Amino acid sequence: MKQVMISTDHMSHVYQDEMGREVHALQDVSVHIHEGEFVSIIGTNGSGKSTLAKHFNVLLQPTSGTVTILGMDTKEEHLIWNIRQNVGMVFQNPDNQIVAAIVEEDVAFGPENLGVPAPEIRSRVDAALAAVNMSDYALHGPHLLSGGQKQRIAIAGVLAMKPKCIILDEPTAMLDPKGRKEVMDTVYRLNKEEGITIVYITHFMEEAALADRIIVMKQGKVIDEGAPKDVFMNVDTLKGLGLDVPVPSEIAVRLQEQGVAMPKGITTNEELGEAICQFN
Amino acid sequence: MSIQLEHVTYTYGQGTPFEKTALYDVNLTIHEGEFVGIIGHTGSGKSTLVQHLNGLLHPTSGTVTVNGVDLVGKTEEVKQTRHKVGMVFQYPEHQLFEETIAKDIAFGPKNLGFDEAEVERRVREAMQFVGLDYDTYAERSPFHLSGGQMRRVAIAGVIALDPDYLILDEPSAGLDPFGREEIFGEIVKLHKEKGITVILVSHNMEDISRMANRLIVMHQGQVLLDGNPIEIFHNDREKLQSAGVDVPPLSQTLQALAERNIPVNIDRVHVNEAVADIYDYLKEVHHAK
Repeated sequence: MKQVMISTDHMSHVYQDEMGREVHALQDVSVHIHEGEFVSIIGTNGSGKSTLAKHFNVLLQPTSGTVTILGMDTKEEHLIWNIRQNVGMVFQNPDNQIVAAIVEEDVAFGPENLGVPAPEIRSRVDAALAAVNMSDYALHGPHLLSGGQKQRIAIAGVLAMKPKCIILDEPTAMLDPKGRKEVMDTVYRLNKEEGITIVYITHFMEEAALADRIIVMKQGKVIDEGAPKDVFMNVDTLKGLGLDVPVPSEIAVRLQEQGVAMPKGITTNEELGEAICQFN
Repeated sequence: MSIQLEHVTYTYGQGTPFEKTALYDVNLTIHEGEFVGIIGHTGSGKSTLVQHLNGLLHPTSGTVTVNGVDLVGKTEEVKQTRHKVGMVFQYPEHQLFEETIAKDIAFGPKNLGFDEAEVERRVREAMQFVGLDYDTYAERSPFHLSGGQMRRVAIAGVIALDPDYLILDEPSAGLDPFGREEIFGEIVKLHKEKGITVILVSHNMEDISRMANRLIVMHQGQVLLDGNPIEIFHNDREKLQSAGVDVPPLSQTLQALAERNIPVNIDRVHVNEAVADIYDYLKEVHHAK
Protein backbone atom coordinates (compact mmCIF):
# COMPACT_ATOMS: atom_id res chain seq x y z
CA MET A 1 0.00 0.00 0.00
CA LYS A 2 1.37 3.37 -1.00
CA GLN A 3 1.81 6.04 1.63
CA VAL A 4 -0.92 8.68 1.91
CA MET A 5 0.50 11.98 0.69
CA ILE A 6 -2.44 14.29 1.32
CA SER A 7 -5.49 13.57 3.37
CA THR A 8 -8.41 15.79 4.31
CA ASP A 9 -10.94 14.61 6.84
CA HIS A 10 -14.39 16.26 6.95
CA MET A 11 -12.68 19.52 6.22
CA SER A 12 -14.54 22.82 5.82
CA HIS A 13 -13.38 26.33 5.10
CA VAL A 14 -15.59 29.27 5.99
CA TYR A 15 -14.76 32.94 5.59
CA GLN A 16 -16.68 36.19 5.80
CA ASP A 17 -17.25 38.29 2.72
CA GLU A 18 -17.16 42.08 2.74
CA MET A 19 -20.83 42.28 3.74
CA GLY A 20 -20.08 40.13 6.79
CA ARG A 21 -21.88 37.07 5.45
CA GLU A 22 -20.42 33.63 5.92
CA VAL A 23 -19.19 31.99 2.76
CA HIS A 24 -18.74 28.22 2.84
CA ALA A 25 -15.90 27.81 0.37
CA LEU A 26 -15.41 24.14 1.27
CA GLN A 27 -17.88 21.86 2.99
CA ASP A 28 -17.10 18.51 4.55
CA VAL A 29 -14.39 17.56 2.08
CA SER A 30 -12.67 14.22 2.60
CA VAL A 31 -10.10 13.31 -0.05
CA HIS A 32 -7.03 11.09 0.04
CA ILE A 33 -4.17 11.40 -2.39
CA HIS A 34 -1.49 8.71 -2.38
CA GLU A 35 2.21 9.00 -3.07
CA GLY A 36 2.98 8.80 -6.78
CA GLU A 37 -0.60 9.55 -7.84
CA PHE A 38 -1.58 12.05 -10.53
CA VAL A 39 -4.85 13.62 -9.44
CA SER A 40 -6.71 16.27 -11.38
CA ILE A 41 -9.26 18.60 -9.77
CA ILE A 42 -11.95 20.09 -12.00
CA GLY A 43 -14.86 22.43 -11.29
CA THR A 44 -16.12 25.84 -12.37
CA ASN A 45 -14.77 29.17 -11.07
CA GLY A 46 -15.85 29.41 -7.46
CA SER A 47 -16.29 25.65 -6.95
CA GLY A 48 -13.59 25.66 -4.28
CA LYS A 49 -10.86 23.82 -6.17
CA SER A 50 -8.18 26.48 -5.67
CA THR A 51 -9.22 26.94 -2.04
CA LEU A 52 -8.80 23.21 -1.56
CA ALA A 53 -5.36 23.21 -3.18
CA LYS A 54 -4.23 26.11 -0.98
CA HIS A 55 -4.85 23.92 2.05
CA PHE A 56 -2.34 21.39 0.75
CA ASN A 57 0.68 23.59 1.38
CA VAL A 58 -0.81 25.55 4.26
CA LEU A 59 -1.56 28.78 2.46
CA LEU A 60 -4.92 28.25 4.14
CA GLN A 61 -5.99 26.29 7.18
CA PRO A 62 -9.33 24.53 7.61
CA THR A 63 -12.08 26.10 9.72
CA SER A 64 -13.08 22.63 10.86
CA GLY A 65 -11.86 19.11 10.15
CA THR A 66 -8.23 18.29 9.45
CA VAL A 67 -5.73 18.35 6.61
CA THR A 68 -2.67 16.14 6.97
CA ILE A 69 0.31 16.04 4.64
CA LEU A 70 2.48 12.91 5.02
CA GLY A 71 0.88 12.48 8.40
CA MET A 72 1.63 16.06 9.50
CA ASP A 73 -1.38 18.12 10.63
CA THR A 74 -1.36 21.53 8.89
CA LYS A 75 -2.64 23.17 12.07
CA GLU A 76 0.67 22.45 13.83
CA GLU A 77 2.55 25.73 13.32
CA HIS A 78 6.00 24.15 13.78
CA LEU A 79 5.37 21.70 10.91
CA ILE A 80 4.45 24.33 8.31
CA TRP A 81 7.92 24.69 6.80
CA ASN A 82 8.44 20.97 6.76
CA ILE A 83 5.13 20.58 4.90
CA ARG A 84 5.89 23.32 2.40
CA GLN A 85 9.22 21.72 1.60
CA ASN A 86 7.38 18.56 0.66
CA VAL A 87 4.55 20.21 -1.23
CA GLY A 88 5.50 22.74 -3.90
CA MET A 89 3.02 25.00 -5.63
CA VAL A 90 2.88 26.40 -9.16
CA PHE A 91 0.33 29.12 -9.96
CA GLN A 92 -1.45 30.36 -13.05
CA ASN A 93 0.54 33.44 -13.96
CA PRO A 94 4.17 32.73 -14.84
CA ASP A 95 5.09 36.40 -14.47
CA ASN A 96 4.07 36.47 -10.81
CA GLN A 97 6.34 33.62 -9.78
CA ILE A 98 9.72 34.58 -11.11
CA VAL A 99 11.91 36.64 -8.78
CA ALA A 100 15.43 36.74 -10.24
CA ALA A 101 16.94 38.29 -13.36
CA ILE A 102 18.72 35.09 -14.44
CA VAL A 103 16.97 31.76 -14.89
CA GLU A 104 19.36 29.69 -12.76
CA GLU A 105 19.31 32.24 -9.95
CA ASP A 106 15.55 32.06 -9.93
CA VAL A 107 15.64 28.29 -9.63
CA ALA A 108 18.23 28.60 -6.82
CA PHE A 109 16.00 30.94 -4.80
CA GLY A 110 14.15 28.14 -2.98
CA PRO A 111 17.11 25.99 -1.91
CA GLU A 112 19.10 29.13 -0.95
CA ASN A 113 16.33 30.08 1.45
CA LEU A 114 16.38 26.59 2.89
CA GLY A 115 20.07 27.07 3.71
CA VAL A 116 21.23 24.33 1.36
CA PRO A 117 25.08 24.36 0.96
CA ALA A 118 26.32 26.01 -2.24
CA PRO A 119 27.67 22.93 -4.08
CA GLU A 120 24.42 21.13 -3.40
CA ILE A 121 22.44 24.13 -4.73
CA ARG A 122 24.46 23.94 -7.94
CA SER A 123 23.64 20.29 -8.47
CA ARG A 124 19.98 20.75 -7.55
CA VAL A 125 19.57 23.67 -9.97
CA ASP A 126 21.23 21.76 -12.79
CA ALA A 127 19.09 18.70 -12.16
CA ALA A 128 15.89 20.77 -11.91
CA LEU A 129 16.57 22.61 -15.18
CA ALA A 130 17.40 19.32 -16.89
CA ALA A 131 14.15 17.80 -15.62
CA VAL A 132 12.09 20.52 -17.33
CA ASN A 133 14.28 20.59 -20.46
CA MET A 134 15.49 24.13 -19.82
CA SER A 135 19.23 23.55 -19.24
CA ASP A 136 20.12 25.59 -22.32
CA TYR A 137 18.42 28.62 -20.82
CA ALA A 138 20.22 28.58 -17.43
CA LEU A 139 21.91 31.94 -18.08
CA HIS A 140 19.05 33.64 -19.92
CA GLY A 141 16.86 36.43 -18.61
CA PRO A 142 13.45 34.98 -17.68
CA HIS A 143 11.59 37.98 -19.13
CA LEU A 144 12.66 36.98 -22.64
CA LEU A 145 11.17 33.49 -22.39
CA SER A 146 7.78 32.34 -23.67
CA GLY A 147 4.93 31.64 -21.25
CA GLY A 148 5.44 27.89 -21.48
CA GLN A 149 9.15 28.26 -20.80
CA LYS A 150 8.47 30.54 -17.82
CA GLN A 151 6.09 28.01 -16.33
CA ARG A 152 8.73 25.32 -16.74
CA ILE A 153 11.19 27.58 -14.88
CA ALA A 154 8.60 27.99 -12.12
CA ILE A 155 8.29 24.18 -11.97
CA ALA A 156 12.11 23.87 -11.86
CA GLY A 157 12.15 26.33 -8.94
CA VAL A 158 9.78 24.06 -7.07
CA LEU A 159 11.75 20.92 -8.04
CA ALA A 160 14.94 22.41 -6.61
CA MET A 161 13.28 22.22 -3.20
CA LYS A 162 13.02 18.44 -3.74
CA PRO A 163 9.32 18.18 -2.96
CA LYS A 164 7.46 14.87 -2.92
CA CYS A 165 4.37 16.53 -4.33
CA ILE A 166 3.63 19.44 -6.67
CA ILE A 167 0.31 21.29 -6.76
CA LEU A 168 -0.37 23.11 -10.01
CA ASP A 169 -3.26 25.59 -10.04
CA GLU A 170 -4.29 26.10 -13.67
CA PRO A 171 -0.67 26.28 -14.83
CA THR A 172 -1.63 26.43 -18.51
CA ALA A 173 -4.51 28.92 -18.38
CA MET A 174 -2.39 31.78 -19.71
CA LEU A 175 -0.44 29.77 -22.27
CA ASP A 176 -0.88 29.17 -25.98
CA PRO A 177 -1.41 25.61 -27.29
CA LYS A 178 2.33 24.99 -27.71
CA GLY A 179 3.14 26.24 -24.20
CA ARG A 180 0.33 24.16 -22.77
CA LYS A 181 1.73 21.03 -24.33
CA GLU A 182 5.26 21.79 -23.06
CA VAL A 183 4.02 22.18 -19.49
CA MET A 184 1.70 19.19 -19.65
CA ASP A 185 4.44 16.92 -21.03
CA THR A 186 6.82 18.08 -18.29
CA VAL A 187 4.31 17.44 -15.51
CA TYR A 188 3.40 14.04 -16.90
CA ARG A 189 7.06 13.01 -17.12
CA LEU A 190 7.83 14.19 -13.58
CA ASN A 191 4.99 12.00 -12.34
CA LYS A 192 5.83 8.91 -14.37
CA GLU A 193 9.64 9.06 -14.24
CA GLU A 194 10.44 10.83 -10.97
CA GLY A 195 7.43 9.49 -9.10
CA ILE A 196 6.40 12.96 -7.92
CA THR A 197 2.82 13.17 -6.72
CA ILE A 198 0.85 15.64 -8.84
CA VAL A 199 -2.30 17.57 -7.98
CA TYR A 200 -3.39 19.35 -11.15
CA ILE A 201 -6.19 21.90 -11.25
CA THR A 202 -7.46 22.69 -14.72
CA HIS A 203 -10.34 23.75 -16.94
CA PHE A 204 -8.94 21.81 -19.87
CA MET A 205 -10.48 18.37 -19.99
CA GLU A 206 -7.89 16.93 -22.33
CA GLU A 207 -5.33 17.69 -19.60
CA ALA A 208 -7.50 16.21 -16.84
CA ALA A 209 -7.85 13.07 -18.98
CA LEU A 210 -4.14 12.29 -18.40
CA ALA A 211 -4.60 11.95 -14.63
CA ASP A 212 -4.97 8.67 -12.74
CA ARG A 213 -7.96 10.10 -10.94
CA ILE A 214 -10.25 13.11 -11.29
CA ILE A 215 -11.97 14.92 -8.42
CA VAL A 216 -15.01 16.99 -9.47
CA MET A 217 -15.92 19.96 -7.24
CA LYS A 218 -19.14 21.94 -7.08
CA GLN A 219 -20.00 24.68 -4.62
CA GLY A 220 -17.35 23.62 -2.16
CA LYS A 221 -18.15 19.92 -2.22
CA VAL A 222 -16.64 16.91 -3.91
CA ILE A 223 -19.45 15.58 -6.11
CA ASP A 224 -17.63 12.93 -8.11
CA GLU A 225 -14.34 11.13 -8.02
CA GLY A 226 -12.82 8.37 -10.15
CA ALA A 227 -10.71 7.40 -13.15
CA PRO A 228 -11.13 9.76 -16.14
CA LYS A 229 -12.80 7.03 -18.18
CA ASP A 230 -15.51 6.69 -15.52
CA VAL A 231 -15.94 10.38 -14.64
CA PHE A 232 -16.23 11.45 -18.30
CA MET A 233 -19.11 9.04 -18.87
CA ASN A 234 -21.34 11.40 -16.87
CA VAL A 235 -21.58 13.78 -19.81
CA ASP A 236 -24.82 15.47 -18.80
CA THR A 237 -23.75 15.97 -15.17
CA LEU A 238 -20.48 17.60 -16.19
CA LYS A 239 -22.15 19.77 -18.82
CA GLY A 240 -24.79 20.76 -16.29
CA LEU A 241 -21.97 21.96 -14.03
CA GLY A 242 -20.71 24.12 -16.87
CA LEU A 243 -17.72 21.90 -17.61
CA ASP A 244 -16.59 20.46 -20.91
CA VAL A 245 -16.23 16.78 -21.67
CA PRO A 246 -13.58 15.40 -24.05
CA VAL A 247 -15.13 15.17 -27.53
CA PRO A 248 -14.51 11.40 -28.00
CA SER A 249 -16.19 10.66 -24.64
CA GLU A 250 -19.21 12.74 -25.55
CA ILE A 251 -19.60 11.12 -28.97
CA ALA A 252 -19.31 7.62 -27.46
CA VAL A 253 -21.91 8.37 -24.78
CA ARG A 254 -24.33 9.95 -27.27
CA LEU A 255 -24.04 6.91 -29.57
CA GLN A 256 -24.67 4.66 -26.60
CA GLU A 257 -27.82 6.62 -25.79
CA GLN A 258 -29.04 5.91 -29.32
CA GLY A 259 -28.63 2.21 -28.76
CA VAL A 260 -25.18 1.66 -30.28
CA ALA A 261 -23.23 -0.91 -28.24
CA MET A 262 -20.18 1.29 -27.61
CA PRO A 263 -17.64 0.08 -25.04
CA LYS A 264 -17.52 2.11 -21.81
CA GLY A 265 -14.67 4.40 -20.84
CA ILE A 266 -13.66 5.99 -24.16
CA THR A 267 -11.61 9.16 -23.66
CA THR A 268 -9.29 9.39 -26.69
CA ASN A 269 -9.74 9.73 -30.44
CA GLU A 270 -7.86 6.45 -30.94
CA GLU A 271 -10.23 4.55 -28.64
CA LEU A 272 -13.25 6.08 -30.38
CA GLY A 273 -11.89 5.21 -33.83
CA GLU A 274 -11.16 1.64 -32.80
CA ALA A 275 -14.58 1.20 -31.23
CA ILE A 276 -16.33 2.39 -34.40
CA CYS A 277 -14.16 0.18 -36.61
CA GLN A 278 -15.18 -2.83 -34.49
CA PHE A 279 -18.55 -2.70 -36.21
CA ASN A 280 -17.04 -3.39 -39.62
CA MET B 1 -14.60 54.85 -41.36
CA SER B 2 -11.86 52.30 -40.90
CA ILE B 3 -8.49 51.45 -39.40
CA GLN B 4 -5.84 51.21 -42.08
CA LEU B 5 -2.34 49.82 -41.84
CA GLU B 6 -0.06 50.53 -44.75
CA HIS B 7 3.31 48.81 -45.06
CA VAL B 8 3.64 48.61 -41.29
CA THR B 9 6.94 47.25 -40.03
CA TYR B 10 7.84 47.24 -36.35
CA THR B 11 11.21 46.48 -34.81
CA TYR B 12 11.69 46.12 -31.06
CA GLY B 13 14.91 47.45 -29.55
CA GLN B 14 16.13 49.01 -32.77
CA GLY B 15 19.85 49.70 -32.65
CA THR B 16 20.45 47.36 -29.72
CA PRO B 17 21.80 43.78 -29.72
CA PHE B 18 18.24 42.63 -28.91
CA GLU B 19 16.79 44.08 -32.10
CA LYS B 20 13.88 41.99 -33.26
CA THR B 21 11.44 42.70 -36.05
CA ALA B 22 7.95 41.68 -34.98
CA LEU B 23 5.94 42.93 -37.97
CA TYR B 24 6.95 42.90 -41.62
CA ASP B 25 5.18 45.08 -44.15
CA VAL B 26 1.65 44.51 -42.88
CA ASN B 27 -1.20 45.92 -44.99
CA LEU B 28 -4.63 45.70 -43.51
CA THR B 29 -7.96 47.54 -43.48
CA ILE B 30 -10.47 46.95 -40.72
CA HIS B 31 -13.85 48.36 -41.66
CA GLU B 32 -16.43 49.75 -39.31
CA GLY B 33 -18.93 47.11 -38.18
CA GLU B 34 -16.68 44.11 -38.70
CA PHE B 35 -16.06 41.41 -36.11
CA VAL B 36 -12.47 40.42 -36.71
CA GLY B 37 -10.72 37.49 -35.05
CA ILE B 38 -6.92 37.55 -34.92
CA ILE B 39 -5.17 34.27 -34.24
CA GLY B 40 -1.56 33.16 -34.18
CA HIS B 41 0.84 31.43 -31.83
CA THR B 42 3.01 33.24 -29.28
CA GLY B 43 5.54 35.41 -31.08
CA SER B 44 3.50 35.59 -34.30
CA GLY B 45 3.16 39.36 -33.90
CA LYS B 46 -0.54 39.53 -33.07
CA SER B 47 -0.10 41.51 -29.84
CA THR B 48 2.36 43.87 -31.51
CA LEU B 49 -0.17 44.33 -34.29
CA VAL B 50 -3.09 45.26 -32.05
CA GLN B 51 -0.97 47.68 -30.03
CA HIS B 52 -0.57 49.66 -33.24
CA LEU B 53 -4.31 50.04 -33.63
CA ASN B 54 -4.66 52.59 -30.84
CA GLY B 55 -1.24 54.14 -30.99
CA LEU B 56 0.35 52.31 -28.06
CA LEU B 57 3.10 51.47 -30.53
CA HIS B 58 4.04 53.50 -33.57
CA PRO B 59 5.33 51.69 -36.65
CA THR B 60 9.07 51.75 -37.32
CA SER B 61 8.04 52.35 -40.92
CA GLY B 62 4.65 52.60 -42.60
CA THR B 63 1.49 54.29 -41.32
CA VAL B 64 -1.55 53.51 -39.20
CA THR B 65 -4.64 55.65 -39.64
CA VAL B 66 -7.87 55.49 -37.68
CA ASN B 67 -10.83 57.12 -39.44
CA GLY B 68 -8.28 58.82 -41.66
CA VAL B 69 -6.14 60.25 -38.82
CA ASP B 70 -2.49 59.19 -38.61
CA LEU B 71 -1.84 58.13 -35.00
CA VAL B 72 1.67 59.57 -34.86
CA GLY B 73 1.76 62.92 -33.10
CA LYS B 74 0.19 64.53 -30.09
CA THR B 75 -2.35 66.91 -31.56
CA GLU B 76 -5.85 67.15 -30.11
CA GLU B 77 -7.17 65.31 -33.16
CA VAL B 78 -4.82 62.37 -32.59
CA LYS B 79 -5.82 62.20 -28.92
CA GLN B 80 -9.52 62.24 -29.73
CA THR B 81 -9.02 59.57 -32.35
CA ARG B 82 -7.10 57.27 -30.00
CA HIS B 83 -10.04 57.41 -27.60
CA LYS B 84 -12.17 55.86 -30.31
CA VAL B 85 -10.19 52.65 -30.03
CA GLY B 86 -10.77 50.89 -26.72
CA MET B 87 -8.37 48.20 -25.59
CA VAL B 88 -9.08 45.40 -23.12
CA PHE B 89 -5.77 43.79 -22.26
CA GLN B 90 -5.19 40.22 -21.18
CA TYR B 91 -6.35 39.64 -17.63
CA PRO B 92 -7.86 43.13 -17.41
CA GLU B 93 -9.01 42.42 -13.84
CA HIS B 94 -5.39 42.90 -12.77
CA GLN B 95 -5.76 46.54 -13.68
CA LEU B 96 -8.67 47.27 -11.36
CA PHE B 97 -7.51 49.64 -8.65
CA GLU B 98 -10.32 51.81 -7.25
CA GLU B 99 -12.20 51.44 -3.96
CA THR B 100 -15.56 50.89 -5.60
CA ILE B 101 -16.73 49.39 -8.84
CA ALA B 102 -18.41 52.64 -9.92
CA LYS B 103 -15.23 54.65 -9.31
CA ASP B 104 -13.16 52.18 -11.25
CA ILE B 105 -15.43 52.35 -14.29
CA ALA B 106 -15.63 56.15 -13.99
CA PHE B 107 -11.85 56.56 -14.17
CA GLY B 108 -11.70 56.64 -17.97
CA PRO B 109 -14.60 58.99 -18.73
CA LYS B 110 -13.48 61.31 -15.90
CA ASN B 111 -10.06 61.59 -17.50
CA LEU B 112 -11.70 62.46 -20.78
CA GLY B 113 -13.08 65.50 -18.95
CA PHE B 114 -16.80 64.76 -18.88
CA ASP B 115 -18.91 66.39 -16.15
CA GLU B 116 -20.17 64.35 -13.21
CA ALA B 117 -23.65 63.74 -14.60
CA GLU B 118 -22.28 62.44 -17.90
CA VAL B 119 -19.72 60.25 -16.11
CA GLU B 120 -22.44 58.72 -13.98
CA ARG B 121 -24.67 58.17 -17.00
CA ARG B 122 -21.86 56.34 -18.76
CA VAL B 123 -21.00 54.25 -15.69
CA ARG B 124 -24.64 53.21 -15.29
CA GLU B 125 -24.96 52.36 -18.95
CA ALA B 126 -21.69 50.39 -19.03
CA MET B 127 -22.62 48.43 -15.91
CA GLN B 128 -26.03 47.63 -17.28
CA PHE B 129 -24.41 46.50 -20.48
CA VAL B 130 -22.13 43.98 -18.81
CA GLY B 131 -24.95 42.74 -16.58
CA LEU B 132 -23.92 44.28 -13.25
CA ASP B 133 -26.84 45.86 -11.42
CA TYR B 134 -25.88 49.45 -10.51
CA ASP B 135 -27.68 49.59 -7.18
CA THR B 136 -26.23 46.28 -6.05
CA TYR B 137 -22.67 46.65 -7.23
CA ALA B 138 -21.76 50.34 -7.66
CA GLU B 139 -20.48 50.87 -4.12
CA ARG B 140 -18.85 47.48 -3.66
CA SER B 141 -15.14 46.83 -3.86
CA PRO B 142 -14.11 45.31 -7.19
CA PHE B 143 -11.65 43.06 -5.38
CA HIS B 144 -14.26 40.85 -3.78
CA LEU B 145 -15.85 39.75 -7.04
CA SER B 146 -15.33 36.46 -8.83
CA GLY B 147 -12.81 36.35 -11.68
CA GLY B 148 -15.54 36.54 -14.32
CA GLN B 149 -17.25 39.49 -12.61
CA MET B 150 -13.96 41.37 -12.20
CA ARG B 151 -13.36 40.97 -15.88
CA ARG B 152 -16.80 42.38 -16.63
CA VAL B 153 -15.99 45.43 -14.51
CA ALA B 154 -12.77 45.91 -16.48
CA ILE B 155 -14.62 45.63 -19.78
CA ALA B 156 -17.26 48.08 -18.51
CA GLY B 157 -14.42 50.55 -17.82
CA VAL B 158 -13.52 50.46 -21.51
CA ILE B 159 -17.13 50.54 -22.73
CA ALA B 160 -17.67 53.69 -20.63
CA LEU B 161 -15.22 55.43 -22.97
CA ASP B 162 -17.79 54.81 -25.71
CA PRO B 163 -15.28 53.52 -28.28
CA ASP B 164 -16.05 52.91 -31.96
CA TYR B 165 -13.56 50.07 -32.04
CA LEU B 166 -12.99 47.57 -29.26
CA ILE B 167 -9.88 45.39 -29.11
CA LEU B 168 -9.93 42.43 -26.73
CA ASP B 169 -6.80 40.38 -26.07
CA GLU B 170 -7.73 36.83 -24.95
CA PRO B 171 -10.85 37.91 -23.06
CA SER B 172 -11.79 34.37 -22.02
CA ALA B 173 -8.39 33.17 -20.73
CA GLY B 174 -8.67 31.50 -17.35
CA LEU B 175 -12.46 31.47 -17.25
CA ASP B 176 -14.54 28.30 -16.97
CA PRO B 177 -16.99 27.44 -19.78
CA PHE B 178 -19.86 29.39 -18.13
CA GLY B 179 -17.64 32.44 -17.65
CA ARG B 180 -16.53 32.20 -21.27
CA GLU B 181 -20.10 32.08 -22.53
CA GLU B 182 -20.98 35.12 -20.41
CA ILE B 183 -18.11 37.25 -21.69
CA PHE B 184 -18.66 36.22 -25.28
CA GLY B 185 -22.38 36.87 -24.99
CA GLU B 186 -21.57 40.43 -23.98
CA ILE B 187 -19.06 40.97 -26.75
CA VAL B 188 -21.53 39.75 -29.38
CA LYS B 189 -24.13 42.07 -27.86
CA LEU B 190 -21.75 45.04 -28.07
CA HIS B 191 -21.16 44.28 -31.70
CA LYS B 192 -24.80 43.74 -32.60
CA GLU B 193 -26.57 46.34 -30.48
CA LYS B 194 -24.02 49.12 -30.24
CA GLY B 195 -22.51 48.49 -33.63
CA ILE B 196 -19.01 48.52 -32.15
CA THR B 197 -16.29 47.12 -34.39
CA VAL B 198 -14.75 44.22 -32.48
CA ILE B 199 -11.19 42.97 -32.86
CA LEU B 200 -10.75 39.78 -30.87
CA VAL B 201 -7.32 38.26 -30.28
CA SER B 202 -7.48 34.62 -29.27
CA HIS B 203 -5.71 31.27 -29.29
CA ASN B 204 -9.04 29.58 -29.53
CA MET B 205 -10.12 28.84 -33.06
CA GLU B 206 -13.48 27.56 -31.86
CA ASP B 207 -14.40 30.89 -30.28
CA ILE B 208 -13.33 32.86 -33.32
CA SER B 209 -15.08 30.63 -35.83
CA ARG B 210 -18.30 30.96 -33.86
CA MET B 211 -18.33 34.76 -33.59
CA ALA B 212 -16.10 36.53 -36.06
CA ASN B 213 -17.06 37.24 -39.66
CA ARG B 214 -13.44 37.73 -40.61
CA LEU B 215 -10.33 35.84 -39.53
CA ILE B 216 -6.77 37.09 -39.70
CA VAL B 217 -4.04 34.52 -39.09
CA MET B 218 -0.67 35.97 -38.11
CA HIS B 219 2.54 34.05 -38.65
CA GLN B 220 6.13 35.26 -38.27
CA GLY B 221 5.13 38.90 -38.26
CA GLN B 222 3.00 38.72 -41.38
CA VAL B 223 -0.61 38.19 -42.31
CA LEU B 224 -0.70 34.55 -43.42
CA LEU B 225 -4.44 34.26 -44.05
CA ASP B 226 -7.27 36.79 -44.14
CA GLY B 227 -10.88 35.91 -44.91
CA ASN B 228 -14.08 34.21 -43.82
CA PRO B 229 -13.28 31.91 -40.86
CA ILE B 230 -15.32 28.96 -42.07
CA GLU B 231 -13.82 29.11 -45.54
CA ILE B 232 -10.29 29.41 -44.18
CA PHE B 233 -11.01 26.54 -41.92
CA HIS B 234 -12.21 24.44 -44.79
CA ASN B 235 -9.59 25.36 -47.38
CA ASP B 236 -6.43 26.15 -45.47
CA ARG B 237 -6.26 23.52 -42.77
CA GLU B 238 -2.62 22.71 -43.51
CA LYS B 239 -1.55 26.34 -43.52
CA LEU B 240 -3.30 26.82 -40.18
CA GLN B 241 -1.46 23.93 -38.66
CA SER B 242 1.85 25.13 -40.04
CA ALA B 243 1.16 28.46 -38.30
CA GLY B 244 0.87 26.59 -35.00
CA VAL B 245 -2.82 27.34 -34.62
CA ASP B 246 -4.70 24.76 -32.62
CA VAL B 247 -7.56 23.08 -34.44
CA PRO B 248 -10.76 22.71 -32.36
CA PRO B 249 -11.05 19.35 -30.53
CA LEU B 250 -14.07 18.22 -32.57
CA SER B 251 -12.16 18.75 -35.83
CA GLN B 252 -9.24 16.78 -34.39
CA THR B 253 -11.55 13.91 -33.51
CA LEU B 254 -13.25 13.97 -36.91
CA GLN B 255 -9.91 14.03 -38.68
CA ALA B 256 -8.72 11.04 -36.66
CA LEU B 257 -11.90 9.17 -37.63
CA ALA B 258 -11.56 10.15 -41.28
CA GLU B 259 -8.04 8.74 -41.28
CA ARG B 260 -9.54 5.38 -40.33
CA ASN B 261 -11.80 5.64 -43.38
CA ILE B 262 -14.89 6.32 -41.31
CA PRO B 263 -17.01 8.56 -43.57
CA VAL B 264 -17.57 11.67 -41.41
CA ASN B 265 -18.00 15.27 -42.51
CA ILE B 266 -14.92 16.97 -41.08
CA ASP B 267 -16.49 20.44 -41.33
CA ARG B 268 -18.99 19.75 -38.57
CA VAL B 269 -18.88 22.28 -35.73
CA HIS B 270 -21.43 20.65 -33.41
CA VAL B 271 -20.94 17.33 -31.66
CA ASN B 272 -24.56 16.30 -32.28
CA GLU B 273 -24.14 16.56 -36.05
CA ALA B 274 -21.02 14.41 -35.88
CA VAL B 275 -22.88 11.86 -33.76
CA ALA B 276 -25.67 11.75 -36.37
CA ASP B 277 -23.10 11.17 -39.15
CA ILE B 278 -21.51 8.28 -37.27
CA TYR B 279 -24.89 6.84 -36.33
CA ASP B 280 -26.00 6.83 -39.98
CA TYR B 281 -22.75 5.18 -41.01
CA LEU B 282 -23.08 2.46 -38.36
CA LYS B 283 -26.66 1.82 -39.45
CA GLU B 284 -25.50 1.33 -43.03
CA VAL B 285 -22.75 -1.03 -41.92
CA HIS B 286 -25.30 -2.98 -39.93
CA HIS B 287 -27.73 -3.27 -42.86
CA ALA B 288 -24.98 -4.34 -45.23
CA LYS B 289 -24.21 -7.33 -43.02
